[in-house]
Amino acid sequence: MSESSMTRPHAAAAHHTSLGVDNRKLGVWAFIGSETLFFATLITTYFVFAPVNRMRPDFQDPRKFLDIELTTVLASILLASSLTMVLALSASKRGDRRWFATWLLATVGLGLAFIGGQVYEFNHLYHEGLTLSSSLFGTTFFVLTGFHGTHVAIGVIWLLAVFFKVRAYPDSPENAMDVEIAGLYWHFVDLVWVAIFVLVYLI
Amino acid sequence: MAGHHEDQGAHAHGEHGHSDRFYWLVAGVLAVVTALEVGLFIVNEQHLIAKWLEVTLLLILSTIKGAAVVMYFMHLKGDAGVFKFVFLVPLAFATTLLLSFMALFSEHVGIAG
Amino acid sequence: MAIAERTAGTVSPPSVSVRPGWAGWLSTTDHKRIGIMYLVSAFVFFLIGGIEALLMRIQLGVPDNTFLTPDVYNQMFTMHGTTMIFLGLMPLNVGLGNYMVPLMIGARDMAFPRLNALSVWLFIFGGLMLYVSFFVGGAPNVGWFAYAPLTQKQFAPTSGVDYWIIGIGLTGVASIAGALNFIVTILNMRAPGMTLNRMPLFVWMQLIVAFILIFAFPVLTVATIQLLFDRHFGTRFFLPNLGGDAVLWQHLFWFFGHPEVYILILPTMGIISEVLPTFSRKPIFGYAFVAYSGVAIGFLGFLVWAHHMFAVGLGPLANAFFGAASFLIAVPTGVKIFNWLATMWQGSLHLTTAMLYAISFIGMFVIGGISGITLASPPINVQQTDSYYVVAHMHYVLFGGAIQGIFAGIFYWFPKMTGRMLDERLGKWQFWLMLISFNLTFFPMHLSGNEGMPRRIYTYEADMGWNLWNLMSTIGSLLLAVAFLIFLWNVLTSIRRGPIAPADPWDGATLEWAVSSPPPVYNFAVTPRVRSRRPLWDEKYPHLHEVNGSHEAPVARKGLLRDGFERETPEAMEPIHLPSPTYAPLIVSVGIMILGFGIIYLGDFGLIAASAMLVGLLIMAAGILSWVRISHVDSPHHAHHGI
Ligand code: HEM
Ligand SMILES: [Cu+2]
Repeated sequence: MSESSMTRPHAAAAHHTSLGVDNRKLGVWAFIGSETLFFATLITTYFVFAPVNRMRPDFQDPRKFLDIELTTVLASILLASSLTMVLALSASKRGDRRWFATWLLATVGLGLAFIGGQVYEFNHLYHEGLTLSSSLFGTTFFVLTGFHGTHVAIGVIWLLAVFFKVRAYPDSPENAMDVEIAGLYWHFVDLVWVAIFVLVYLI
Repeated sequence: MAGHHEDQGAHAHGEHGHSDRFYWLVAGVLAVVTALEVGLFIVNEQHLIAKWLEVTLLLILSTIKGAAVVMYFMHLKGDAGVFKFVFLVPLAFATTLLLSFMALFSEHVGIAG
Repeated sequence: MAIAERTAGTVSPPSVSVRPGWAGWLSTTDHKRIGIMYLVSAFVFFLIGGIEALLMRIQLGVPDNTFLTPDVYNQMFTMHGTTMIFLGLMPLNVGLGNYMVPLMIGARDMAFPRLNALSVWLFIFGGLMLYVSFFVGGAPNVGWFAYAPLTQKQFAPTSGVDYWIIGIGLTGVASIAGALNFIVTILNMRAPGMTLNRMPLFVWMQLIVAFILIFAFPVLTVATIQLLFDRHFGTRFFLPNLGGDAVLWQHLFWFFGHPEVYILILPTMGIISEVLPTFSRKPIFGYAFVAYSGVAIGFLGFLVWAHHMFAVGLGPLANAFFGAASFLIAVPTGVKIFNWLATMWQGSLHLTTAMLYAISFIGMFVIGGISGITLASPPINVQQTDSYYVVAHMHYVLFGGAIQGIFAGIFYWFPKMTGRMLDERLGKWQFWLMLISFNLTFFPMHLSGNEGMPRRIYTYEADMGWNLWNLMSTIGSLLLAVAFLIFLWNVLTSIRRGPIAPADPWDGATLEWAVSSPPPVYNFAVTPRVRSRRPLWDEKYPHLHEVNGSHEAPVARKGLLRDGFERETPEAMEPIHLPSPTYAPLIVSVGIMILGFGIIYLGDFGLIAASAMLVGLLIMAAGILSWVRISHVDSPHHAHHGI
């Protein structure tokens, strides 16, 4: 149908597209662009209310509640999962099934560890008296980090779906792209945590 | 497994020839920068440097982290321009949103609107 | 003359079986069917929204009327606004885009056909959920922009607001998914030779709108989620008494809301940029200006939101900035107006119904633009905000602009979509009646607004001096309803008995007219090869090429074919592969809808709601599973090749 596919039938995986890029990859990048505004809005709300929180009688000080050690561990977990993710992609591209499975499952494991850590953190904060309704800090903090956690959970499901699909169709030429776009989403979720880590926990 | 080079350059874009070793390196840099961030945070609990300076440094450090993730792990560096477009343009809008709201609300602290 | 006809014999029939009857529609992944589903369901919602408007107009026809109670009146204007914007105009534009964009760029389908089906289902279910609210305690009654803190539970105790949140949440997800689909389709699936600079302007505008959409909607999504948390889970984002901020809601809403008005109007600007040249027998004047002014409008549209909030008292600096930025938007808008006028200038105008609507779009839109400019001036705005003057403004742009533009598009493309011509005589009756009654309805609102009549009041006293204006508006609105009935009658009769439409009834210039009416499932037997902005005209009138297109004819310079596009059949044809029908998107959307119901009641009926959510998630999971399976079977590698 296109020049390339007619003159060079079956150039490996050469979809002919107008920009020469994969449709799904473009779609996921655009989706990530959209998600950027999603999280930007949540972060903006956090910042709009941070000074108001400080002036209220039910002020709760983020610095008193947030545990920098736990957070550092969580941040490291996500960063490490980005590394394992990119290694999984690299293995998948060179057709190394064993290392692909190892790195991908490692990523899933790290993602689960992150979620577990967040559940622990939320639980801990709750017992310290920080809730959705205890203060503006509680309101904004839980909704922001909760939605990030939800994204991590969706990412874990996505990665598992890719893992099982690749297992079901080990020879599909789509596998590398399946892994790549799931990875893009995963790195993005990590990226959001890089922002939350500094903006909420450190500043 | 480190040291494997990829060399299937079939795709028009998206092939960057980074080795696994390189990814480990990037991760190492990320770890160091994170350590610097946390270190700065902890050390400056004694207020050794001004708050604004600390914030600026933290922002710079995490920008480095974010950029590394986007450029190397997400391979945006060297990838097709259209990907940069659909990510960087909304990022610019997002920054505008954050900064303009902070400006708009800076005078309204403590009063609802 | 269609290529499809000429080459039909050589094409192996597409490897897809369309299921017959309803099953075919429920499981479709064909962009043309999905486009029609969008159009029909959006039109139904549109009629419902129209009935709500009529009820309000009847109530306001005479002073001290008691036709509607105040609470029902509040529900009516909320549902009217929400319906028209989210369930009427937006999906009408999406429907036309869905049908036409792939045809116009020479593609066989949208980039993600299953996602496309998901979008239409989510839109339909979102709309239905919004309307369920009527039966479970009352529709939302807080206005389409749902200002805080009126939306909080103590002031809006029914679940109307929750249905509003989830309903537009679903349509929002549908819109974002749809926009991603448009972006990828338009950027990445153009036929060879169809460079960005040769794309039809309708496609350009759809592309810009898709980008606006994915940037603006997440902001609304977050704001509505926060509102939902306020109502049910104890947060206080918009609760001023606890330190929350009602003005933050306004900022977030309008950060989305102003771009939203361009989401509504830009596609229709694209439509008339197709219709005007066709019926003026001239290429569009200043193609690049029209395209790039659209980009400029899209950008600037993100910088003016607070012009809806001048009455808040943002301070002189913010007011000056947002006022000035709003004035600035008038520049690219004006550029377009002059381009359209220049396109008609000295053309040989064919005053078909589509053309009449396009011309009248310009006139009415200019009136709405001018009232917009007056509103953008903070001191003037403070006098006019929240008055009927604003209602006049928005209807001149949304009805005089968007709706008329959509009618231009419907009359223009109906033959392509159905294979039948609409009745032009009825069309003209409809047009003139609509134009007159539209002005009768909405022009007096400028005056009643200037005389101080506020928006959103359910009645007024006889001695306010507004009686005449209101009576005129009410009579006008009833006549408008007649115009819509004429249209409905026209569609219903023409679709059965209208004259058979040829492939190219209007002597069009763009690719959709190269295929039969309606087009075959696979659109193009052979992917066309495009060599100019007006492939069909260049082919039909090669001698005009120099006159019309010489400034953009590098093709001729290179000594290649002058032809607008190539249509030879290559010797070896690859089989056309189309996505298989599947119920997966429908199943996933049903799951999401059940999840939505669960969320609404999670705060009040925890256990039952949570189990409903679980059921929804399971249904979603099942749908996704079959989705993954079918997409694997359908993948281009699996079945050789095909876009
Ligand atoms: C020249 C360009 C325009 C300018 C300067 C402009 C300006 C304004 C201003 C200042 C308001 C706020 C009025 C108030 O509530 O006090 C407004 C309201 C509105 N405008 Fe425009 N406008 C323009 C074009 C448009 C277009 C093209 C559309 C839609 C297609 C549109 C749709 C609306 C709607 C729906 C409202 C009312 C929103 C509401 O309060 O419910 N405007 N416009
Ligand atoms: Cu506006």
